[in-house]
Amino acid sequence: VSDHREPNLRALAARDPAAHARVRDATPLAGATVAAATGVPTLEVGGVLLHSRHDPAGEATRWAATQRGRLDAGADTAVVLGLGLGYHVEALAAVWPGRLVVVEPDADLLATALAARDLRPLLERIELAPDPLGPDTIDGWGRVVVAPHGPSLLRAGEGLRSLKERITGRTALRDLRLRILVISPLTGGSYPLTGYCARALAELGHAVTVLDTSPFASALGGIGGFTPKKAVQKAIGEAFANFLGTGVLAAVEHHDPDLVLGMAQAPLSGAVLRELGRRGTVRAMWFVEDHRLFGYWKDVIAEYDHFFTVQAGEFLAEASRSTAGRVAYLPCAADPAVHRPFPLCAEERVELGAPVSFLGAGYHNRRIAFRSLLDLGLKLWGTQWKGAGQLESAVQRGGARITTDDMVRIFNATDVNLNLHSSTYVDGVDPRGDFVNPRTFELAACGAFQLVDERALLPPLLRPGVEVATFRDAAELRPLVEHYLAHPDERAAMAAAGRARVLAEHTYRHRMEALLEAVCARDADRLRARTRGETVADVAHACGNTPLGHFLGELSPGMPFSLDGVAKGLLGRPGRLSDPEAIMLFLRELDGMYVEEHRT
Amino acid sequence: VSAVRRILVVNLTRFGDLLQTSPVIVGLRAQHPGARITALVPRNFVDVAEGLPAVDDVRPFDFDGLARLLLAGKSADIRAAYAIVEGLVAELRAERFDLAVNYSSSRMSAVLLGLVGATDTRGWTMTPDGHRLITHPWSRVFSGSCLHRRQQPFNLVDYYKRAAGVVGGPQRLFFDVPAAARARAAELLAAEGAPEGTPLVALQLAASREVRRWPTASFVALGRALHERLGARMVLIGGGGDRPYAEEVAAALGPMAIDVCGRTSIAELGAVLERSRVLVTGDTGPMHMAVAVGTPVVSLFFGPALPFDTGPYGADHLCLHADVPCAPCGHSVTCLDPFCRDTIAPEAVAEAVVARSTGDWAALEAAADRFPAVRWYRTGFDAEGLFDLERLGSAPIDRREQLRRVYRAVWKHALDGTLPQLRGPRLEREAATLRALVPLAAEGGARAAVVENLARRATDLVALEDAARRVEESAAELYRFGAMHEPAAFLVQVFRFDKENIAGDGVAEIARATRVLHEELARRARLLADLLDPPAVAPRAVPAGGGYDARPS
Repeated sequence: VSDHREPNLRALAARDPAAHARVRDATPLAGATVAAATGVPTLEVGGVLLHSRHDPAGEATRWAATQRGRLDAGADTAVVLGLGLGYHVEALAAVWPGRLVVVEPDADLLATALAARDLRPLLERIELAPDPLGPDTIDGWGRVVVAPHGPSLLRAGEGLRSLKERITGRTALRDLRLRILVISPLTGGSYPLTGYCARALAELGHAVTVLDTSPFASALGGIGGFTPKKAVQKAIGEAFANFLGTGVLAAVEHHDPDLVLGMAQAPLSGAVLRELGRRGTVRAMWFVEDHRLFGYWKDVIAEYDHFFTVQAGEFLAEASRSTAGRVAYLPCAADPAVHRPFPLCAEERVELGAPVSFLGAGYHNRRIAFRSLLDLGLKLWGTQWKGAGQLESAVQRGGARITTDDMVRIFNATDVNLNLHSSTYVDGVDPRGDFVNPRTFELAACGAFQLVDERALLPPLLRPGVEVATFRDAAELRPLVEHYLAHPDERAAMAAAGRARVLAEHTYRHRMEALLEAVCARDADRLRARTRGETVADVAHACGNTPLGHFLGELSPGMPFSLDGVAKGLLGRPGRLSDPEAIMLFLRELDGMYVEEHRT
Repeated sequence: VSAVRRILVVNLTRFGDLLQTSPVIVGLRAQHPGARITALVPRNFVDVAEGLPAVDDVRPFDFDGLARLLLAGKSADIRAAYAIVEGLVAELRAERFDLAVNYSSSRMSAVLLGLVGATDTRGWTMTPDGHRLITHPWSRVFSGSCLHRRQQPFNLVDYYKRAAGVVGGPQRLFFDVPAAARARAAELLAAEGAPEGTPLVALQLAASREVRRWPTASFVALGRALHERLGARMVLIGGGGDRPYAEEVAAALGPMAIDVCGRTSIAELGAVLERSRVLVTGDTGPMHMAVAVGTPVVSLFFGPALPFDTGPYGADHLCLHADVPCAPCGHSVTCLDPFCRDTIAPEAVAEAVVARSTGDWAALEAAADRFPAVRWYRTGFDAEGLFDLERLGSAPIDRREQLRRVYRAVWKHALDGTLPQLRGPRLEREAATLRALVPLAAEGGARAAVVENLARRATDLVALEDAARRVEESAAELYRFGAMHEPAAFLVQVFRFDKENIAGDGVAEIARATRVLHEELARRARLLADLLDPPAVAPRAVPAGGGYDARPS
């Protein structure tokens, strides 16, 4: 087999410098290329044969013929997943005159192909998708037909499969405007996330309703008042859960969502989820919890179409085994509209500021780890600090609950914000700690400096030592705090870098986009079938060149057309209302005053 | 000569409210003789609007049609509804109104007025960026009074008049009964064996809500008493939906009753009332119709109804108000035990009708003392031409009544410059509350002055932002104070509306207006306090010899 590497690389350098840079230093897979019966090279990697051992070109022609039919149905770009040695791409190029993109994240495999065959004509014809593959690139492809190269997917496994999901999900999502019902938990740490997610989903152009179940939190807390008998309390609790389930179903009946997104601990029982499934509603859960502490996921996961977790690794595998639905890793995030740098007046600095502070519940490990900081001006904010001994003297506002508003102020007013992930049994830093809590992202988004305990999943999200400062164990905490107190410049640089990274990659908008892409990758057809009635675009078209037509033309085209949907969000927007906007607002008000109650 | 050529009056509420705009329209006509007056009203009240003198052009607004389209809800229906509103707005804009007066306090009407964009709009309207604007101080006091009705100082019609800039104006309502309606009513009554000259007392049996309806048993007892004492027959009036009550009362009264309920148009109802000696009614549309056609009214107020705000706008009508501690109920509550309805005894009402039909005011004074569970009021007008209620009987003025009267004096002073003249019990507790409000308001004014100065110097933006926040903190404290102290609530509420409606270019100007509002609030609070609990020496705020009279009686 002759070495085509150098001429191929030169051709690639001229055509696509970025791809060239990626392949230049890659190593061709050793001993993978073998000769097929027809004399041309074929490829076997990790026990997977990527092209026929007899006639790679003939096989490729048959493959291309099957893809051709799908492309003819209307596409701007054919996206081939997996390059292999390129036979199938050449065959497709022969029958498809349009734009042709190849996704191949494995640089070593690219290098192998470039060494094995003269790919110069092909490299002229195709584009190699950049790695990492950004959303803008996918959007630039227009209408996409994904042509997966089966053997490549088989070999590459999760990496290429998740790229496939991203591409199909994102392109399907483009035409879908969904009705989404976000269901909050009654209380707890994930409650505020409900609003953040809902806002992000609405920003992405979907019709979002929040089912806020917090009004029922105190009722749940009051069950113990009926009787001290645990068994009876349990029965009452079940009745209460049924009551909430009935309410959830009523809300679903009323809003008729395409997608129900439950936040962790939302009152969604197996029975309720099954009923949602019968209605054809797509069911998703963002399980923003530690699966080791909250085992209830096992009871309900099988009823979800999509289950998103903040933990990866073994848990993903275990969760995937428990459901036919899709399980995916979706780390926490921040909401830049809430978590932001905040100018404080002098009085606020006095009350809310401190050299060192921690905001959160007084879990066991925090009570142990923070003792060493008592003489550094430590302030503790939040609940459950009773009985924390000496630390109680640092507790602010008598251990009252802190509002989100004040939280942001406190983060901003503190020199060194501590962030120690909770543990009920470890004395300091949990050595098995994996997921990254919302506080990490919220602090970073505030542009506040934080010292966070090392977590297995942190480095890919925020680079330790660059975008966030970390500590390994309780013993390290005091010297690090002293160091950073003495080096305000380091603090400022790290805080700024952390904030930039969060804004670029870790907002709820990013997460909800990823979540919807994952949902659509699997359920786009089901969701498309549900979108009934006219869209805003249909009505805009029907209105033609009129003020109403122009107004509707500016709205999300795929949104189902409804008075509510159109009028929603007009108020409180800066700038003058146009006539069509004001008339829609008028009709909406009239509807609210006289019509709504007559609607069944 | 008035420069106002075209006037739009919008009233999208009920037919009673529409009748209550009649004095404004007549007043506007007198003040702008050359102007063309257009009334925009719901289509089903067009015949009411056509009976209003001085209206040149009645523009019906098809609410029901629009509502049907929205209920159908298909995009074609919504587009059709859109086209109707678009057409209406275009028509109204083409009129180029110099003055628009909106008497519907709803966001919906505010949006419409914003769209119409008259040169001068009074009442609720909308800013170009979609925020509600209440453009006239009288409209803001009215909006505030709706939230603090216990202190309701003025009749709705007076708010209407003042907001439209009508000074003085007629002290009655108007409705021209068309000849055809008069003839048809005569036929109807004749067919029931009541030719011209038969003594009739009209009874309006129903009301918009159950809690506002006097019980049918009470009406039956009243009918029997009146038949016995006046030899009168009872004309049962009402709409088609009120038939069950009419049937019940008619069955009980037999030939004493003439049941025309549901058998008349609104104009014919006017004609029937014209033929009646007295109307007995709750706070209803027909009550205003009776006033408009010149028939004396004995009106019963209970539940959410108050004689102060919607009492019969004319002289020498009677209002009987159930004197229960919880009156009036809030509009949004559903009372499960409306005992106030039964507080008004049929005997008391019979006494009122008999004495009123003969104009025997001495008898009414005596009756008021005989039935003390009810407050008896005679309607009339004060020296400034504002509707007023004169309490009948010898009961002394209580705290609640005095607070209301003091508020009336303060608003008259604040909005019209009328010097307060008042007697009544001394209310030290309430005065102390108002005095505690004064420094809070002054502090807010001082903080606004800081913003004003910083903005004029245009220097430190951070300091400016900080100072502006301190003003908002002051306002929040004032709102909290208002929420906590009933005697101050109304004052603070109007301050809040005033503040929300500050318009201006630039921070300095807005800050100046904010400062003035705070100073005004402080002055008003001080005046309220001094009127509730007059100091030994008359305060300097009021010029000597200005008729200030706040001594306790």
